[in-house]
Amino acid sequence: MSSEAIAVTTPVAEVPLSRRFGRVWWCALVVSGGLVLLLGYTLVSVTILGVGIWGVNIPFVWGFDLINYAWWIGIANGASLFAAILVLRRHDLRTAVNRFAEGVAFFAVICAGIFPIFHLGRPWLFYWTFPYPATFEVWPQFRSTLTWDFWAISTHAIVTSLLWYVGLIPDLATLRDRARRKSVQRIYGIFALGWRGSVRHWAYHQRAYRLVAILVLPLILIMQSTVAFEFAVTLVPDWHETRQPLHFVATGLAQGLSIVLLVAVLLRSGLRLGRYIDEEDIDLLGKLVLASAIVSGYLFLDEVIAALLAERMAQEAMLNRMTGDYAGLYWTAIVYSVLIPQLLWFKAARNSTIAGVFVGLSIGVGIWFDRFSIIVGGLQTDYLPSISRNYQPTLAETGLFLGTIGLFAALLLLFVRFLPVVSMFETRHDEHLEKSS
Amino acid sequence: MSEGAPFDLEAMRARLANEDGPRLWRSLEELADLPEVRRYVEAEFPDIVQAARIDRRTLLRLMSASLALGGLAACDGGSAGKNAPLLSQSHTMPGHVPGVPLTVATSLPLNGFGRGVLVKVQEGRPIKIEGNPLHPASLGATDVFAQAEILSLYDPDRSDAPLQNGVERTWQELTGFIRPVRNELVVAEGKGLHILMPPTSSPTLLRLVAQARQLFPLARWHSFSPIDDDNRRAAGMTVFGRDVDLVYDLAQADTIVTLGGDLFAEEPGHLRYAADHQARRRLRERELPRLFAVETRPSLVGTRADERIPLRPRDVEAFVESLAATLETGSAPVGSHPSITRIADALRKAGSRSLVAAGREQGSAVHALVHAINARLGAFGTTVRAIEPVRPLASDVGTLADLAQAIAAGQASHLVVLGGNPAYTAPADIDLASLIRRVPLSLHLGQHRDETAAVCHWHVPESHPLESWGDLSAFDGTVGLRQPVTMPLKPGLSADEFLGLMAGQALDGRGLVQGTWREAWGEGFEERWVRSLEDGIVDNSASPPVDVALRPDWKPEPAALAPSAGIDVTFTPDPSVWDGTYANNGWLQELPKPLTKQVWGNAALIAPETAAIFGLSSGDAIDLNVDGRTLRAPVWILPGHATGAVTLTLGYGRRQAGRVGNGIGFDAYAIRSSQRPWVATGEIKAAGVRIPVISTQQHHSMQGRDIVRVVAPDQNLLPDKANPSLYPDWPYEGHAWGMAIDLDACIGCNACVIACQAENNIAIVGPEEVAKGREMHWLRVDRYYGGDPASPDTYFQPVPCMHCEKAPCEVVCPVNATVHSSEGLNDMVYNRCVGTRTCSNNCPYKVRRFNFLDYQGTDVSAPSDLTNPQVTVRDRGVMEKCTYCIQRIGTARADARIEDRPLRDGEVVTACQQACPTKAIVFGDVNDPESTVSRLKQSPRNYALLGALNTRPRTTYLARIEQPREDG
Repeated sequence: MSSEAIAVTTPVAEVPLSRRFGRVWWCALVVSGGLVLLLGYTLVSVTILGVGIWGVNIPFVWGFDLINYAWWIGIANGASLFAAILVLRRHDLRTAVNRFAEGVAFFAVICAGIFPIFHLGRPWLFYWTFPYPATFEVWPQFRSTLTWDFWAISTHAIVTSLLWYVGLIPDLATLRDRARRKSVQRIYGIFALGWRGSVRHWAYHQRAYRLVAILVLPLILIMQSTVAFEFAVTLVPDWHETRQPLHFVATGLAQGLSIVLLVAVLLRSGLRLGRYIDEEDIDLLGKLVLASAIVSGYLFLDEVIAALLAERMAQEAMLNRMTGDYAGLYWTAIVYSVLIPQLLWFKAARNSTIAGVFVGLSIGVGIWFDRFSIIVGGLQTDYLPSISRNYQPTLAETGLFLGTIGLFAALLLLFVRFLPVVSMFETRHDEHLEKSS
Repeated sequence: MSEGAPFDLEAMRARLANEDGPRLWRSLEELADLPEVRRYVEAEFPDIVQAARIDRRTLLRLMSASLALGGLAACDGGSAGKNAPLLSQSHTMPGHVPGVPLTVATSLPLNGFGRGVLVKVQEGRPIKIEGNPLHPASLGATDVFAQAEILSLYDPDRSDAPLQNGVERTWQELTGFIRPVRNELVVAEGKGLHILMPPTSSPTLLRLVAQARQLFPLARWHSFSPIDDDNRRAAGMTVFGRDVDLVYDLAQADTIVTLGGDLFAEEPGHLRYAADHQARRRLRERELPRLFAVETRPSLVGTRADERIPLRPRDVEAFVESLAATLETGSAPVGSHPSITRIADALRKAGSRSLVAAGREQGSAVHALVHAINARLGAFGTTVRAIEPVRPLASDVGTLADLAQAIAAGQASHLVVLGGNPAYTAPADIDLASLIRRVPLSLHLGQHRDETAAVCHWHVPESHPLESWGDLSAFDGTVGLRQPVTMPLKPGLSADEFLGLMAGQALDGRGLVQGTWREAWGEGFEERWVRSLEDGIVDNSASPPVDVALRPDWKPEPAALAPSAGIDVTFTPDPSVWDGTYANNGWLQELPKPLTKQVWGNAALIAPETAAIFGLSSGDAIDLNVDGRTLRAPVWILPGHATGAVTLTLGYGRRQAGRVGNGIGFDAYAIRSSQRPWVATGEIKAAGVRIPVISTQQHHSMQGRDIVRVVAPDQNLLPDKANPSLYPDWPYEGHAWGMAIDLDACIGCNACVIACQAENNIAIVGPEEVAKGREMHWLRVDRYYGGDPASPDTYFQPVPCMHCEKAPCEVVCPVNATVHSSEGLNDMVYNRCVGTRTCSNNCPYKVRRFNFLDYQGTDVSAPSDLTNPQVTVRDRGVMEKCTYCIQRIGTARADARIEDRPLRDGEVVTACQQACPTKAIVFGDVNDPESTVSRLKQSPRNYALLGALNTRPRTTYLARIEQPREDG
């Protein structure tokens, strides 16, 4: 490794290896750590007391639990799909954003995974969805979308973590080599799996990395579709739509990209990584976000068209989502996830940190409201009017949601503290290519 | 209180009563050494004494048995040893097999009238009440109050010790105090003694009253019930010149006109009336009966009417006058209600097979006119019969007002309140609570330490009707014997026993009842006594009809001048808590009221038009002002209510009902007057605040979907298109269970809902949880409105689990916790459920209920002694739903197998089916083409709810039959 190459990536490597990390980081960690404590509190209380501490009822048996689950899965999917495509296409942008796109995806899966377990009436029995050889030979119900979901989310967690980890191995080795303290060196060394940078290693690594990236592609479609199936296969008039998976995949992609954009802009300004995540990268990312928002817009339109073509109950249900008690959710979703991102048509907006943060958040918020509108607003219209009720989230549910946001932020913060947020080996590779050309 | 026990049982009981369970067992040896215990054991188990040497272990074993019994006996206020083994056990099988529940026939009172019931007793614990098929007021059906009485029996708030000025006393202290007082009163011939009791139909109690009256000739007796029939009886006196009760025969009635009240819910014979009316509707040979309901507040009978005429109370008298005049002259007077001609025509057409019935809230003038119309139509003898009053009152029995006057005048030195809760139920113009405080010595006998107990010097616990002996007459005079179905759960005296003691009889509830009937029957008493206990009724005891004829000198009084201003305020017993008696009953509090679906509270019911005038919406508070007394209440807009009137249900706003009932709703007695107890004139104005009203159904229209289908009398439903399914059909070699619910028969009375709750250990969740939409009822009765909100069509639809053949819930459960059984049931495996709730999402009927929290361990939950041991108590976090009473299917199957025969049709009766007065619910084997349910499912009225979804429900409905409207 030439000394020049070392110099190129020094600022990236310096971040995890430095002893001090500044007040802002600490403050952010304390805040998110507080939210993680809140998460722990809400999880313990829901386990002890039951899901009755939430606003759920009959017929709204699912509330924030599934809203947030679907939302986090959307982020995870969008981000990992994006990262995988970049890896496979060997796109320049991957150097800049791949690492934390993968990280975002993995942390979002962790946040998402909390909900399906803790939303159960008896969460300690969650493993019954797993086909283990039980004494009574009772198997899971393989026709249930929830069983599919169990497989989907566990596969998703494994593949996303693999994608992230495989990409990290050469950089972990770099950190090991540059670590100044023995203990740190040892820890990075364990995770670097004995990486020595031989040509054979590189060859295997490239193969493994691309293999996992390919795995991500179908998985993403399956994962989001499975979440969508949980709604689409039911008899609920508003949910019973074959377009549901498409809606979840496409809007989830927009949401994942927007969070990648948000994190990229924050890291770029926060860690002064302008050289590695340059304006062009951000510009490209902005265009992608804009494109995905337009696709979301089309899907919102498609939703209405599909409802118009459907039978009367579905029409009523859609109309109720647009004009009923929960109409606010629906329109908020459209404004935040489709209209506001149109700002990105302007180059100035694409290059502005504030606009990046704003649009990134806005799509995230918009899709969250869309999930709320589907899961709650969609359930309001059912075949028997006698059972119609309303759902109102409680503090315990809100606390749980904030808690997962805190967990996500805390994981991100630890990630930027202890691991290189920009792929060093890809950067070196890029620099090398530039030099040689 | 029992004198002359051979050993000091009282001290022993006192000791045991003061011991709690665990300490009792730890102190066994210590206790066994006490001399009185030794004496007790010797008396109970002479074998032990005779056996020369008994090792310590045997002694202790016997000791523990006897102490356990002693512990039970310690709960008994003094009649221990006199409770002979329960006599009646023959309704299930001869003899008692451990584990097999006993069925005991007895009677339960409602407003003084008896309804025959059969109580299921499991290992000494009564767990379920069913109707007694032999009893004329039940015919096997029950109302909500009878179903819920079992929960009242176990009410932990029931009084268990005498109180003196609020301080607990022992029974010895009570006896010590009261005996000299009684003796003094005997000497004084009862001067200054006033006795207040609710009207009763019990022959034994009436006999004891007569005896006591001989002993205390100068005592004054008063009768009071907040739900009185004074107007009707007064009208009988004016029109016929004698005091009579009326018994209707709706099976004979071709045209029925009801004027207020509720034949299907509030009359003492309501179950019978509903059953008879439905039986008449089912008669194929005759045209459908016509039912007209003229009423202020929509009633259950009104919802079944061919024509409902909402009318302010003040207009009813003029209406009846016009009707009478129309019947008389053949043409309606000018300016009378447009419906009158139609009603008169229908009445005339039916002739003697017509019936006009007025509710108890109508004035005596209305009742008098109704009596006259019935007499003129010749209805007496066919659809109406007059009988001697079932709750007779001697002419010198005073009213509550008389009592108030006597107390105010200082004439009352002693007051005995024998049952009831008059301090709460008294009209507001009689401040009975403070009047009672002015009586030098007052005593209250009651089941609860209620509002009356709080103002009396002494409170004596009254035993529950299921714990004591007695007898009760039904609406038609048929006597049902009342026998204890359990060892007393709390020490107490029945009213019979108390009066017996006053009259100098021994403390022997059974002896008192036997005394009455020994006198009446003479020879062959023993045999008849046993038979009557087993049957639950005294055969041929129905009152014979008495001849009534219009007094020749009777003329209708000129109609009282109706007030021109103000709003009419009417009072009515509550469909859930009656007059307040059931306020501490969680099942009833959580039972959605038939029309408003309100739970845990009451509301001022107003018409949509009234609401529009005052700018009110449901839940807005109003201030009612009646004669200067004010009351704040939330309103509920009730379609079909008469405009210009507001209905208040009684029984809420209890201050000392107990832990469940305190402070729920508003107390309508606070503006009720003794002069006009049923209809008053007042003012209302919006209070500008909201009082939340909890209702389980917030949407009232069917939104144009064919949820409840309606056909004309000879019309058939178009068959639904059969859709194909991807999944193969299930094979059924044995039984395939199914249910048919006849919407033409359902009157919305809710008996099925409570029966299901009692049978299946369904939790009470409390008002906060119901407000969140988490009530647990497996069976709900949906109520829909159609047509004009001013006078809508009302439809009831009981919705249990449909047990779909292609059940959507089954395929979405990830852990196979809800599965199809080999007999077609959609089984719920509680143990396997992890609580994803996705099954509920996919259930289009939303009949699944989820244990969001631990509902079995809350302050309002039913005590575990009441638990049906055949039904799992569900844990937090699992889904539950209607099982078609799978435990009853299992029991019937076991019985059939023991007798080595196939299950017979009708052998499996679900709890809802058993309670239904109109036999609207039929359950059985749909694999058997001859079964009743199969035949019903062949009916051209049969349809599947949401059949287009291809769930192929096993519960299907029979369309309601409606006459085409004459008025267009």
